[in-house]
Amino acid sequence: MTDPQDTPPEDDSFLAAEFALGLAEGEDLANARFKLAHDRQFALKVAAWQESFARLTDDIAPVKPPRKIKKKLFKDLFPKQQVPLLERLWVWKGISFAAIGLLAYLAIPMLRPAPPEVPVPVLAAQLKGQSGPLELLAIVEAGGTEVGLRRIAGTAPEGRVLELWAILPEQAPLSLGVLPQTEVMRIALPAVLAGKLGQVTLAITDEPVGGAPDGSPTGEIRAVGALEEI
Amino acid sequence: MDRREIENLIARVALKDRAAFDVLYDQVSAKLFGVCLRVLSKRAAAEDAMQDTFVKIWNNADRYQANGLSPMTWLITIARNTSIDRLRARKSGHQDIDTPGLELSAPGPSPEQAAVAGSEAKRLIGCLDGLEPDRASAVRGAYLDGQSYADLAERFNVPLNTMRTWLRRGLLALRECMSQ
Repeated sequence: MTDPQDTPPEDDSFLAAEFALGLAEGEDLANARFKLAHDRQFALKVAAWQESFARLTDDIAPVKPPRKIKKKLFKDLFPKQQVPLLERLWVWKGISFAAIGLLAYLAIPMLRPAPPEVPVPVLAAQLKGQSGPLELLAIVEAGGTEVGLRRIAGTAPEGRVLELWAILPEQAPLSLGVLPQTEVMRIALPAVLAGKLGQVTLAITDEPVGGAPDGSPTGEIRAVGALEEI
Repeated sequence: MDRREIENLIARVALKDRAAFDVLYDQVSAKLFGVCLRVLSKRAAAEDAMQDTFVKIWNNADRYQANGLSPMTWLITIARNTSIDRLRARKSGHQDIDTPGLELSAPGPSPEQAAVAGSEAKRLIGCLDGLEPDRASAVRGAYLDGQSYADLAERFNVPLNTMRTWLRRGLLALRECMSQ
């Protein structure tokens, strides 16, 4: 039995190397683990050997792993139902808006019944759920202070209300308020969104009556879409 | 790969920043997959080891700072040890290899000490080439193929104790060469 206190330095270095290589067995392994946790000098020796042995991988060529590994890894680590809304923004960016031009064209009369004399850039978003039936069209003038929404399909689940959120990249969702149950809605935009409308993603969650209690979304995302210039 | 960039990413992953984890994956997965493939040879096993490796990185990034390893060494060591654990898993009585930063360890070295360890490490390949070929080959066999003393003794057809003495002399010679 080796007494950790009496081990000569060279034995220590050898034990550290054995341990780093994965060769230490039985009593030696137990001894190495104990020292790693309690002896700073030993931990340093192990780290130095690890650093050295890692050089043996220098000439191992990188191999691009199949994409499915990353997919599976992220799915396993971050199962969707447990992911708070706030952290799902990356999902939202991937939603496609192929139909947006046509829908926006149909929606323009909502904001501007008469043809404008000076064309103003307009942004629009098609808000759709990944599974549910809810679908809305949102449209706003560049520099506008309110967003117009038209309900295409779907309503709030029984006993819940729909709440609209504006999300800027890397920021927490900002509540724009609970949506009325009408077909066409006008919702005021807070001044903090001025000049940033092109980066805004709109999302609708279902919330308890009266809206999300503490200003952050709590319910399911029912529809989502990014504002894009048309 | 830039050391500071990887270090910065690991620090952000320690704070559970998924975007940073995503970037870290894109930056280092090819190297780590290469290591897993080298150890395990079989693609399916290497893919599983890779997945495990990144789960460990996600779960333990907050312990990285304490272990005194350079960031790539830490990542490579996790990939290598995870792969070797898989390789050995079929054998009875196998105990997993510990990775500094995944196990409790005493407070790590100062940045100066770590820098010394890093510059010594660069000499490993040259010093390994200076060893007797069999000894160098045993070190590589243990590190890259997860061979135990018993495996090595069989491979070189020597008694177990002789193997251990051999390797001991080899490693101490290596240590001396690298510190010069």
